[in-house]
This record gives sequence, structure tokens and C-alpha cells, in this order.
Amino acid sequence: MKLTRRLTLGLAGGIAALAAGIAPVMAAEMPAPFDNAGEVKIALVRYLSTGDFFQAYLSGVESQAAAIGVDLRVFDSRQDAALQADMVDQAIALGVDGIIIQHGLTEAMQDAAQRALDAGIKVVAFDVDVENPAIPQIEQSDYLLGKLALEQAIKDNGDTWDAGYVYVAGIAPLDRRDVAWQDVKAANPGIRELAMFGTLDNPIANSVANQARSVLQANPGITVVFAPYDEFAKGVKIAVDEAGMTDQVDIYSADVSTADIAAMREPGSAWVATVATNPSVVGEVSVRSLAMLLAGEDPGPNVVVPPTLITQAFLNDNGITNMEELSAKMPQFAHADVSVPAWIPLPAR
Amino acid sequence: MTTQDDTKAHAQGDHPAKVAAKRTPVDLAIRYGFLSLMAGLILFFSVASEGFVSPYSAVFIFQSVAITGILALGVTFTLVVDGFDLSIGSTATSALMLSAYVMVVLEMGAVAAVLACLVMGALVGLVNGLLIVKMKVPDLLATLGMMFLLIGLQRIPTEGRSIATGMKMPNGETTVGKFSPDFLWLGRHRFDFFIDNLIPVSVLILLGVAVLCWVFLELTRHGRLMYAIGSNQRAAALAGTNVNRYKILAYMISGVLASVGGILLAARLGRGDLASGNNLLLDSVAAALIGFAVLGAAKPNAFGTAVGALFVGVLLQGLTMMNAPYYTQDFVKGSVLVVALVFTFALTGRRRGSNH
Amino acid sequence: MASTAVEISGLTKAFGANQVLNGIDLELHKGEVTVLMGANGAGKSTLVKVICGVHPADKGEIRLNGKPLHAATPSEAIRAGIVTVHQSINDGVIPDLDVASNLMLDKLAEPGAGFFLKRREIRAEARKVAASIGLIVDVTRPVGELDLADRQLVAIARAMTHEPELLIMDEPTSSLSAKEAERLFALLERLRDTGVAILYISHRTSDIRRLADRIVCMRDGEIVGRFDQKPLDYEAAVHAMLGHGMTEADLSFKPAGEVVLALERLQITPGAKPINLNINQDEVIAITGLVGSGKSRLAAILFGLEQPVSGEMRLNGAPYAPMSPGQAIAKGVFLCPKDRGSNGILPDHNLTKNITAPFLARYSTGSILNRKAEARAARATIEKLNIVCQSEGDDIGTLSGGNQQKIMVGRWLSEACNLLILDEPFQGVDIKARRDIGDKIHETAKGRATIVMASEMDEVLEIADRIVVLADHAVAGDHDNGDLDLRLVLAQVAGQANNDHTKTASGQ
Repeated sequence: MKLTRRLTLGLAGGIAALAAGIAPVMAAEMPAPFDNAGEVKIALVRYLSTGDFFQAYLSGVESQAAAIGVDLRVFDSRQDAALQADMVDQAIALGVDGIIIQHGLTEAMQDAAQRALDAGIKVVAFDVDVENPAIPQIEQSDYLLGKLALEQAIKDNGDTWDAGYVYVAGIAPLDRRDVAWQDVKAANPGIRELAMFGTLDNPIANSVANQARSVLQANPGITVVFAPYDEFAKGVKIAVDEAGMTDQVDIYSADVSTADIAAMREPGSAWVATVATNPSVVGEVSVRSLAMLLAGEDPGPNVVVPPTLITQAFLNDNGITNMEELSAKMPQFAHADVSVPAWIPLPAR
Repeated sequence: MTTQDDTKAHAQGDHPAKVAAKRTPVDLAIRYGFLSLMAGLILFFSVASEGFVSPYSAVFIFQSVAITGILALGVTFTLVVDGFDLSIGSTATSALMLSAYVMVVLEMGAVAAVLACLVMGALVGLVNGLLIVKMKVPDLLATLGMMFLLIGLQRIPTEGRSIATGMKMPNGETTVGKFSPDFLWLGRHRFDFFIDNLIPVSVLILLGVAVLCWVFLELTRHGRLMYAIGSNQRAAALAGTNVNRYKILAYMISGVLASVGGILLAARLGRGDLASGNNLLLDSVAAALIGFAVLGAAKPNAFGTAVGALFVGVLLQGLTMMNAPYYTQDFVKGSVLVVALVFTFALTGRRRGSNH
Repeated sequence: MASTAVEISGLTKAFGANQVLNGIDLELHKGEVTVLMGANGAGKSTLVKVICGVHPADKGEIRLNGKPLHAATPSEAIRAGIVTVHQSINDGVIPDLDVASNLMLDKLAEPGAGFFLKRREIRAEARKVAASIGLIVDVTRPVGELDLADRQLVAIARAMTHEPELLIMDEPTSSLSAKEAERLFALLERLRDTGVAILYISHRTSDIRRLADRIVCMRDGEIVGRFDQKPLDYEAAVHAMLGHGMTEADLSFKPAGEVVLALERLQITPGAKPINLNINQDEVIAITGLVGSGKSRLAAILFGLEQPVSGEMRLNGAPYAPMSPGQAIAKGVFLCPKDRGSNGILPDHNLTKNITAPFLARYSTGSILNRKAEARAARATIEKLNIVCQSEGDDIGTLSGGNQQKIMVGRWLSEACNLLILDEPFQGVDIKARRDIGDKIHETAKGRATIVMASEMDEVLEIADRIVVLADHAVAGDHDNGDLDLRLVLAQVAGQANNDHTKTASGQ
């Protein structure tokens, strides 16, 4: 078994070397192995892939990989944990130098990640804890995401209000955002949670809108809704519009997309602020952290990509209509100063 | 004349049990049990939850079930011809994506978007129907295939992105089209009805579609023949019915109604959200099955389907207002379905059995 | 008189308020075939089900060889020696298993049977059993490959492995051809001679005349007649069963009118002799023949379900080539199909909907149905055919078999037509319903041509003005039902059968 694997490794390496001969040499002054970046092969092994967030993450990975000039392979397990583990083995067999594990289940990925390390492959993990000190964790800080949004809510509304909260337990990022909500509630006794609701029935926005309508009707005193996921916020906004309560209710959320920007900027929109990490920036950071590992540098055990607060007022003032414009007008959203050694070329903007 | 008297005498002599059975409690329970259960629930929620009784609440219940209700009426048609359409959920979400694509990417108007969706729905139904009657693929398998096909197909043009104004297309262009206000009117306008801005368009469409379906299935000969096909396909064919044509028609109606649901969904959301639509499918199938129990029909029927959808709507509205978490709602939906199926099969079956 | 095998006394059974068996006293003797007759709903099936342990009796006693029998389940009854062969053959055999396994199945299911199969022993024993009843067949063949008669014999052979005291046969010949039935009769006679008591349920006169040692008649849950004086008084038995006499069908021969349907060199299957036949107005033509003689195929061609190989059909002089039942109906050609359960009845539909189904266009303006007109038409049909029901709104399932059949025939009599084809309209109905249906067919025959497909000679003689015999998918005889040479007709029916008919029959 081991012999075959080594043989495959050798073969694959040979093919990669051949390919490198044709590829243009990108950056001569980069450290090894990037002095011949075309020969470096990395793999992205994904658990989740459908949806705007994951599309944007992938494009960040792709553009940073292209900027460095490495050969990127994408494996997509489509929420099949066992398949994802198999795909790590495939990547090993393919002779890659580094692997980014994007989401997944701890139990399934732990052993696979270890096998990759044993094969001498560098590994970073995004949003999945493989419980391995040799593998840096890339994170968008969900706690901070929630915290920033709530701080803005307190800034706008004072520390005494009645809230509706949208939450579905058991989804890791939502659970981490929930911690921020619990902390803020404990610190501000004036904030009352009148109703908690939420569902992941798709289309999520439609299902949440139905629930929010009932909740607003049962609790007409609600002035703030904390909906720490943009699909939730979208649903609540529909319900608020339909109930004619746009003047009364403010929505604070997390995540952002072009469609979200349009919804926030609708005249009189109740969706006043969201906090987001740019998923393509997270993708870029993932690749850069992996590159540092390959060059023998240490990105640190936890690489946290800080979130950015985006308010309705900022969008309106700057006339922002989509993600590209948001990146242009808000540099801290377009780029994160995380894992940025001088030798790594950044993607063009 | 003597023959008729003879007949009556015979009838009474032969079926004494049946005459008595007409008014047994079981019979009443089968006929009105489900409706009284619903009345009881409304009463309970009115007392238990403040604000449950109001015109807004009533309208809202209708609104929340409008889309699944319309889909469920489509399912009813395929159930009537003894078929099944698993693809309605994904047909609806495909219509959602298609309408967004037509307006945002192709920059066309509301009429074009609506027409494109309706044509797509009809086409999907036609293909389903042809697969089933011409290629002899069993209905569940054909529509399962169609379901997967559509879930994938709706993602291909945008490479799996949701569609919104200003988004970047795979070819690098930024979309500039917008959801037309006329289109959004479908999802957002409210008609005055005693109270200003009360009744949303989607509710009127639901009511209209429900009445049309009821008229078609109960009052026209086409509906009757569809029931005949569902009851005994061979017998219907030997009575001169063009079975294949009616089956295809049923799937086309199902597809068109699913696309109507998708249009309303798009108009409410105001963007092209990616979704498999499986929840829409399950909810609408549940509504249609619950409909079996209404008035002891024990068969798919338009009125029952509408009531079934409303029943689920009332329950979810009441539970949400009482702060019940989402998982209890699935549990309750399931319980209602099981009770409805018991009504339909066990009690009705017993009634039939006792006559033999 | 032979000794008594089974003695039933004071047996009652009710389902809810419905008293089905009302004090049955009956003795069944060893080595004797007792035929049980009764109209539909008389309680025959319930009596059988009580005897063989499906239903418990409310009151009364069953004694087997003098000892009280307490069989709570069918398998207990079988072990006690009461074996039943049901009407539907496939209830008695497992088509996918081979003959040997089928024959020994009950032995295998018995408590105390070994865990492992002993194939060779099973086959040896199965061959013995098969030989003992004259079943000559390879015991390793799957039962599903056998023809109907052999399957029936397997079911009986399986019953015989229990060495029964009483063998109950419920309408065993209903799906057999005459030749297949003859094999069955021969077997039953051999069994009778070995001392088995046989209870035989049938409506078929030919079966009864052939087999019965004794006739017992049931009506309304009671035994109303016992006939054991030879020769058996069949007329009296029918009288007892129906409550009135079976008069000779009064046939008044009508002069035939114009030719309605002309078949010209019509070849209905490849290689068959072409058919030339004129069907005239006002006339009732019975087309008879064995199972597989081409009756069903001809009906299917006339109704547009299947297409002929070659030849022409002319309807009222114009070419007639229907491609679907819809087209046939539009041209005024109606078919009342055989086997109402699978081809006619719309279950869970009421009587009105069952009657008007083919003619909805006539009961609707635009597409909207006129329910009043429908109900009127249904009431007229119910009255015309003397159908026993509460109202036209009854569910079809609440009617007895005979009345269901009347609804099916009434459906096609409810509209005028050029040609009415009735395929086995008397299948599974009692004699009274058969008479009613036959009378109605004759009463309404004026103004159209009528074809009745039937294989029972009794039925044919009762209904026909003219008799056409089919054999091997071609016309073998054409007779007026005046002074008929019955022997010639029967020879024509059976004549071709000598060649290779059982084969075609099993393909049916």
C-alpha cells in the first residue's frame, strides 16, 4: 500500500514538473519552494460548497493561488463527510504539497488530516477543528461578528430594548454567534428577549419571514431584531415590510452579499447594519497561511480574519450597490492584514 | 312502478346495517372530525395567544400558506390520476431562479419573467408526463430524476450563485437588471378589504387557484375522468378516456402551479435565491394528504388540500406566536399528518368494511 | 348411505347487525360430492370461512368424525383435515417456487420440521404426491410456468398432502377451459372414491350435472333445500335457491334487420383463417368458443383496442377502423368488457359516476357537468335493470356482485348505439341477475346490433338469436338458435380444441 502510494507520488510529481516547464515563472525572489511556484501543488478539500459565501471563498482561494502561481486542485465533497476524508487521501495520492480543509466534521477529518501530515504535506483548516496542533486554524471570528453587530445596536438604541432573536441551535457558526448574544444580554439587563425563533427550511428567507410575521404580531413591542445570518435578516425584513413596521423595528445581522446590500439600501429598510468577514478575503488568507507553512514560516495556531461593521448609512453615503464597490470603498473589508509576509504577492484588485 | 317498490323493499331488507350506520358517531367523526379539530385549535390559540384573533392574523395565515397551498393543489392533480410529482419543489425554485435571471441578467420585464416561468413549468410537466406515459418510467422515479435535474439546472447559468442586481456573472460582467416593480407587486402589493392594505396578491392568487382547481376537479367532466383514471385506469380507458392525455395534463397542471408558486416566492424574496425546494415539496405533499381526511373524502380533493394547507398554517402561526421552537413545528406537522392519515385510512376503511 | 365426515349443527354468524348465517345444519358424507348452491350474498362464502377457521362461529358446533372441531385459524383446520382450495388459484400456490416446494410447503411450515431443506427427500415425496393425483409434471419447474389447470392441480395436490377428511372447492372451474375442467373432474372423482368428503361450490350447471351426488341450496343464510335422490332435480334446486322457478328463457326470434357491421376477410391474428361475418340490426348474436379461441381478441379489435392483421370492417356501409376506444364509442360501438373488477368498475365512485363515465360529454355543457341530468340517467338505469341499492349515490362497492354487473351492463345500455358488444356479461353472477341482464339485453336490442361473447353454453342458448362459434381465431360455425343441433355446436367448439388448444388457453 505504502509502496504504491510512493510510486503514485513520484509519478504525479513527474507530471507536475513537466507542467511547470511550460508555466511562466512568476516570482523569482520568493523563498523555496516558491522560487519555482508552478511546481507547487495545493488542494482545497471542501465540505460545503453551495451558496454565495462558499462561492466567494473559492474565488478568494483561486485568486490568491493564481497570484502566487501555485497549482490549485479543488475537491468538493458536497456535505459528505466520508467522501471528504477520501478526498484528502486522493489529494495525498496526487502528491500535493499542501491541503486546505474547508469545513467538515471533526471526527471524520481528524485522521485524514493526520495521514496528510504523515505524508509530509502541510495542512491548514478553515472553520473545522481537527484538533491537531500542527494544523493552523483559519477562522472568521463568529463571536466578534455577533459582538460587533450588538455593539452597534446598543450604540443606536441605548441599552434598554425589547428584542427578537433568530437562532437555530446546533449550527457551529450560529452557536458561536449565540455566545456573543448571551454575553451581551447578561451585561445589559435592559435588553429583553421577547421571542426566539428561526428555521433552516429552505428557501430560508421565506420560512423565516413566515415565522417573523407571527412573532411580530404576538410581540408588537419588539424594536430590535438580532438576526446573525443574512438569510435570517432577509426573512425578518420581508416580515417587517409586510407588517408595515419598518419605522419601528431595526434589524442587525451578520454576513453580507450583493443582494443583502440591495435589501439594506431599499428606502426605509429596517435592516440597518450587518457585520461581515469578506469570504474571499478568508479564502486568500487560507492560501497565504498555507504558503507560509510551505516556506517554513509559522502563521500561528489560530489565524483570525477580523470582521467589519457595515451600516446602512455607510452604504447610502457611498452609493455602494455590490460587493466589488464595497471592497473598493472599505479597504478593511477588501483585505485583511493577516498572514502577509512581504514575499507573497497579493491578488490584483 | 312495482319494480321500484320492489327495489326499495329489497334495499331495506338487504342492508339494515347500513341504514343504521349512516348516523353513527364514527361516521360523524370521519366527516366532521378534522374540521372540528381545526375549529378547536383556532379557539385554543385565540385564548392562549394574544393577538391571534385579528383580520391581520387571518390574512397572514393565508399568506404563509399561499405558496405551499398552490403547490399542494398541483400535487392534488397528480394524486388524482394516481400519480405523484416529486419535482414540484425544485420546479418552484427553478421558476424563482428563472424569473430572477430573466429580469436581472437578461434585463427583461415582469411579463416576460412570468411567461418564461409558466412556460418552463408547463414544459417540466410535459416532460414528466411523457416520461411516465410514453417511456413507462414509474412516476416516483421519473419525477425524482426531474427533481435532481432541476436542482442542478437552476445553478448552471450562474455557477451556483444566487441572482441579485449588481452581482458578478461567471463571465465577469456585472448584472445591471433589476426586479421589475410590476413583478414585485405580485409579492408585495396588498388590496384594501374593509381595512387598508389588507389582502396580499398571493392570497388572492391562492384563493383563485383553489376555486379553479375545485371547479375543474368537481364540476367538469375532465376532472371526473381524471378521478376515473386514478380509480381504475383500465376501466377508464375502456370507457373511452384518453388516459395518456389526461395524465400528461395532470403533470402539466402540476408543473404550471409549481411555477406560479415559484413566481410568488421570487416576488416576495426579491432575488433569485438558490434552494432545492424540498421543504416546499414536503409541506405541500403533507397538505394534500391531510386533505384526504377533510369531510371524510378519503381521496385527493381540492377543497381538502386547501383546508389541509390552512390547518398547517394555523398551527404554525399559533405555535410561533407562543414561542415554540422550530423543531416542535416539524413534530406537530408530522403529528397532524399521522392523525389525518389515520382518519383517512383506518376509520374510513372500517366504515367501508362493516358494510360488507 | 355413507358415513358422516362433518356434521354442522345450529351454526350462526353475524357481522354487526347483519345476520349472515342463520342456524345452519349440514352433514357432509365420506365419498360424496356435495354441491353448495346459492345466489350471491346467500352466505356460501361465510359458511366456508367458518368451516375452515377464518371466522369463528357465533353459535353452533362443527363435529369432525364425531369429535367437536375447534379450529381457530386456517392452519389448525388444515391440520385437523379440513382443506380448502380457493377460487383464486394464486392464493393456493407460490408461483416463483418449484412444484416440489409448493407441494411440500405446508409440511415445511409445520412445527417440528427440520431446519435444513432436504431437497432430494422433498422431491421424492412430491413426485409421489403428484403421481397419486395424476399430475404429470416435472416437479422442479416453477409453478408460474404451468398452465392454469396444472396450477389448480398443484393447489389441490398440496391440499392432498394433508390427507384431508373434507376438501372444500370454491368455484374451481371459473378460470379453466372445458378440457382443463375435465381433468379436474376426473381427479375429484378419484378422490371421492378414496372416501374424501367434498364440498363443491359452483354456479355452473355443467359442473353440477357432471359431479354432484347431492345438492344443498342456501338462501338468506339458511339451508333451504337438500336434494339427494338420483336423478338430481336440478330445476327444483334452482327453484329453492332463487325462491322461484327457472323458466325456460322465452326466445322470440326476431327477424334480422339491415347489416350493421360487416367483417370482410378480417384476419385477427397472424396465420388465422380470415373471418367473414355480418352482424345485423335487432339481432343478438352470441359468439362462443373456448378460452383463447379469439373472442377477446375480436372484441378488442372491434373496440379499437387492438388492430387486425388484415381485412376490413364496415359499419353501416362505411369503412370502420377505430384506433382507440374513444373513436369506437364516437362511432356508436360500445364494449362492456369482461372481468368487471379490473376492466369496468371505478372503485370508490358512486353508481351515477360509474354509469355515466363514458358519456360525460353528453351530460355537460361546455365542460361543466350537469349533475341532475346525470342522476336522472342513473336512476333510469337503476330502475330499468332492477338494481338493488339505496340510491344512485351509493358507492359501487356496497353492491353485491350481481348488481355491480348490472351497473356495468346498464352503463352501456344507457345510451343508444349501433353495435353493443358484451364480453362475458354473466361472469360471476347468480341466475336471477343473469336472467335480468339477459332480458334487458333482449328488450333493448331493437335498433342496434348486439354481440354477446360467452363461453358457457347455457348462457349462449339463453341469450342468442344466432350463435357464432369461434375456434382458432376463426369462425367454426354459424347457427340460428331455432332448431339447433347442439351436438354439432359443441363439436365445433371443441373440435379444434383437439389440436393444441390448452397451450393457447394457458397464454390467456
